[in-house]
Amino acid sequence: MPAILCDRLPGGGAGLAAFGGGLTRPETLDSGMWDMHRADLLGAPDTWRSDPGLRLLAPRNAEDARHVPILADATGLGAVERMVVTIDYSPFPLALVFHPGRALPLLGFGVKYEIAGPIRASALAGGGWIMGGAFIDAMGGGCSAPAVTHARPDWQDGFGEMRARLWPDTGRLRVGIRHPMDTGLADGVPAHHLSELTLTDMRGDRIARLEIHEPLEENPVLTFLLPADLAQGPIGIAARDTGGFRFSGEVAA
Amino acid sequence: MRIGRRQALLGAAAATLLPIPARAAPDYLLAPRQVADGLWLFEGAQDSITRGNGGAIGNVAMLETPEGAVVVDTGGTARHGAALRAFADQRLGGVAAVLNTHHHPDHWFGNQAFADRPIHALPGTIAAQAAGAQALADGLYRILGAWMQGTAPLPAQVAAGDGVLTLGGRGLSLMAMAGHSQADLALIDQTTGTLIAGDLLFLDRAPSFPDADIATWRGSLGRLAALQVTGTIPGHGPFRRDSSAAAQTLAYLDAFAARMDAAAALGLSPAEALAAGPMPAFAALAANPAEYRRATVQQWRQHEISALPVVGGSV
Repeated sequence: MPAILCDRLPGGGAGLAAFGGGLTRPETLDSGMWDMHRADLLGAPDTWRSDPGLRLLAPRNAEDARHVPILADATGLGAVERMVVTIDYSPFPLALVFHPGRALPLLGFGVKYEIAGPIRASALAGGGWIMGGAFIDAMGGGCSAPAVTHARPDWQDGFGEMRARLWPDTGRLRVGIRHPMDTGLADGVPAHHLSELTLTDMRGDRIARLEIHEPLEENPVLTFLLPADLAQGPIGIAARDTGGFRFSGEVAA
Repeated sequence: MRIGRRQALLGAAAATLLPIPARAAPDYLLAPRQVADGLWLFEGAQDSITRGNGGAIGNVAMLETPEGAVVVDTGGTARHGAALRAFADQRLGGVAAVLNTHHHPDHWFGNQAFADRPIHALPGTIAAQAAGAQALADGLYRILGAWMQGTAPLPAQVAAGDGVLTLGGRGLSLMAMAGHSQADLALIDQTTGTLIAGDLLFLDRAPSFPDADIATWRGSLGRLAALQVTGTIPGHGPFRRDSSAAAQTLAYLDAFAARMDAAAALGLSPAEALAAGPMPAFAALAANPAEYRRATVQQWRQHEISALPVVGGSV
């Protein structure tokens, strides 16, 4: 079963092909901050490559710099030890580090974009790094604007509310947490963002772990892919943030 | 708008002679057409805003009166507005008054050229124009470059509302609606019975959704479809005698909302819903798939939330 589900919508398979299929765009291969980020954030590997087994769905333009939807699908690479999402010209170049563990190496998320440039998902598989990249044009400002919730009288209303759903037939798990994801760059709003999220099975054993940094969007919704046995649920979800808050929930099929 | 043959030739000749330090935008070439008695339509390019069209994508209408033209929407840049003003001054005896149908920039960034005349709009439009002008202008300067030269957006000043407004002796039935944006003005020219619908109606061009409330928009479409009119000018797309614009806009809204709901219910991420592209029946519409992709980002959240039950919270 293909991991990307565009073809579940009428015409979606053709639409995905017209979109480029999520294949790495050549202009991202040897450009931007890739040299430096490889050295600083990926442990300076000697070699790397691009590979059609890693697909990165990203829009060409950031319609909303506070919510740029991304899907990284590394299921075509086999076992993946970890996947690192970096944004070339972000004030916070490290966005996410995903340790799939017993989940499959697919991650959907939204990011804030401060300035136009490439986003990259780099997967460590078989001892080597595989990079998928896409250039996103953006007006920017997504990291330095205050979260929308701060325009409300009480931003803590609904804070931490966790929403989730599990689709046992496809193995999809989607998890949303209401959180301002403050980067610290907006005037007068200190940094306060989610820092970690873990998935556990019914015995409480860890399935997967996600390290979260500032670029993740406000009120983030994450997409995971679980193998058939785990997709029967229930799945425990636990998260914490830089303010010491903890969040938890459980989702059944 | 097209780049004229003369501009193209001049550009080509100049290029062979000397380097051009900054690219000047070509002039706006207007192609007005009288679609009803004393009612002129300047049809916008059926496209997204690009450097190829200078942002002249929205329809502009002019109604002749003894006191000059009543101008409905003013184009997408100051220079576009100036070209429209020149037509009114030279051919229609000047300008009596101006109306802005809503606050999206392709419909009012030409207001500067009409600063000496009353510019009417719904109160919600005036507020949104004032609040959003700078951000909208920043975005358009980035896309359009020299086409935007001199554009400093001028919001409307005269509050309009439901009811008959007589301008230059010509009666206009104004209808204050919403749905495409927070405030959408539609009007019927009483002289000809023509509906000028603003962006509540699109024809043969994918609707845009940056500020859309689909349920409210549907309600407004119901009202528009029930009107007895002799012809319809949509915000984008050609003039028609029939009501095809209302039918097509409603069908697009329904199909788009159904696609978002289906994607959210199937567990798709917004990136997949976006990459899947538009509904097959509407894939060939002008401005698609770009407009569908934008709309997915703009509208996704409200469809997603109903597909995800609350399972926990702060502990």
